[in-house]
Amino acid sequence: MIRALLILLALGGTAHAAPEDEIEPVGIVAALTQEVVEIRSNFTGASFLVYGAVTGLAEGDDIVVVVRGPQEDLRVMRKIRTLGIWINRAPIAFDDIYGYYAVASTRSLSQFATFSSLRREGIGMEHLRLSAPAHEREETRFGVGGVVVTELGAEIVDYRRAIVRNRAREGLYVESPGGVEILDGGLFRAGVRLPPVTPVGEYALDIYLFRDGVPVASRRTTLEVRKAGLEQAIYDFAHEHAPFYGMVAVIIALIAGWSAAEIFRRR
Amino acid sequence: MDIYLPIAEVSVNIFLILGLGLAVGFLSGMFGVGGGFLMTPILIFIGIPPPVAVATQTNQIVASSASGAIAHFRRKSLDLKMGLYLLAGGVVGSIGGVQLFSFLQATGQINLVISLCYVGFLGIIGGLMFVESAGALWRRYRQGKAGVTPRARRRKRGIIDALPFKARFPVSGLYISLIPVIGIGALVGLLAALMGVGGGFVMVPAMIYILRMPTSVVIGTSLFQILFVTALTTFLQASQNQTVDLVLAALLIVGGVIGAQFGARAGQRIRAEELRAALALMVLGVCLKLAFDLVSDPADMFELMETAGGGAS
Repeated sequence: MIRALLILLALGGTAHAAPEDEIEPVGIVAALTQEVVEIRSNFTGASFLVYGAVTGLAEGDDIVVVVRGPQEDLRVMRKIRTLGIWINRAPIAFDDIYGYYAVASTRSLSQFATFSSLRREGIGMEHLRLSAPAHEREETRFGVGGVVVTELGAEIVDYRRAIVRNRAREGLYVESPGGVEILDGGLFRAGVRLPPVTPVGEYALDIYLFRDGVPVASRRTTLEVRKAGLEQAIYDFAHEHAPFYGMVAVIIALIAGWSAAEIFRRR
Repeated sequence: MDIYLPIAEVSVNIFLILGLGLAVGFLSGMFGVGGGFLMTPILIFIGIPPPVAVATQTNQIVASSASGAIAHFRRKSLDLKMGLYLLAGGVVGSIGGVQLFSFLQATGQINLVISLCYVGFLGIIGGLMFVESAGALWRRYRQGKAGVTPRARRRKRGIIDALPFKARFPVSGLYISLIPVIGIGALVGLLAALMGVGGGFVMVPAMIYILRMPTSVVIGTSLFQILFVTALTTFLQASQNQTVDLVLAALLIVGGVIGAQFGARAGQRIRAEELRAALALMVLGVCLKLAFDLVSDPADMFELMETAGGGAS
């Protein structure tokens, strides 16, 4: 809610602010059909619905649902042909990159939202924040202070596109214009699909109501993706008691090999 | 039926893995090879992250070499002293190899190094096997016609005999320098860590042609060394890189040990040369596929690697 208020405050000063007198107060309620996704041995991805209602929905309003997965640091390397072989070179470290990112909207984003509001909220593949802090500095440009520029120049664009492209190929970055369906009476729903490789952690789902090109309300719900059952036990065991896990792996193999030899010897 | 692998973090078809384990186990039983050099590239082809494929395959070799090593131990067809010196080298190679593995993983070059090692070794092994089996086939053909007997090879004194630190190996009837023994052991340990192979395909020829051990103890001694080196490598990979997937290993072990037993039986009833030539062609095929992937234009010119919070991408 605070977030929505801040957005409204931020909008107060802009030329796009809607005239206050004609709109009733807007609000969003939202829920998920599934709030916890468990990765068990039969996990091949998950699908769920985000649904809810918008109070004060007016003609021409648009709804955007953004799902942001856990953040992680990423190294992106460019393949360069060296002696005939493609070798990973020129690494660039990106910080806090979403492991999963999906945008669903009633129409394509550029049809109803302004560039600056999308950029500010980080909505859409073009506006996703993908920063490589080691190559960035702040400058004053055109009289505006604190503009982040990258010393890599146009090259950074290739790297950013590579992140989006690679993630999209695995079903981790999804953009679906028309993915949000508005039903009667301000009800809406959107389908979200998590691929088998989806990362474990907290996912934030933000629902934005766009009016006259800017978000006028937003609502956040969360989703947890976690390993469960045997998968969880094995993963935790491997990471928290690594040497012991290694010993168990060796012992299982020894017993298997020995018992196979015994069983087949007696035949 | 798909199963999610907790460490590899991918879903695979359970019957595909079991079937591959059986097939490679069958071949390894038939030819008396470990099968790691076939299984690891196949795992990589089906989408297992290379570091997990290598480390998990090492675990599978522990199981497959254990049954063989036990049989040789019972028959006492191994040179324990030689095995221990080879193992000493293997420990050094394995520890060094796992460190190198971690370093390469951190610099993003591990997949390339794994592929390069495979292209090199599979090319050499496949090529030698093919030449040898084709030669054997040719000789059999000629013998059928003229009855030529192969020439006996004369033992020459080489550079190996000139090296210092000599020790006596009564079982093998050798008095040789420890340097090549430990060197061979170390190379095998390094290969186990980097490639997920037992290294029998390197060690057996090296023992016969470089150390000139009697063939009766070669297989037993190499299995003894492979068993302990792969056990150590599995332990180190698990504790340092967290790349051993128990679920995948279990599937590979089940398929592998069963396949190997049937392969060993089938191997006694077949004509060796034709099948060796077939195996050689298969090895060369895997080698060419890996080489092709290294030089052909990649599907994407960029590669993403997660740097925080473990797990392969």
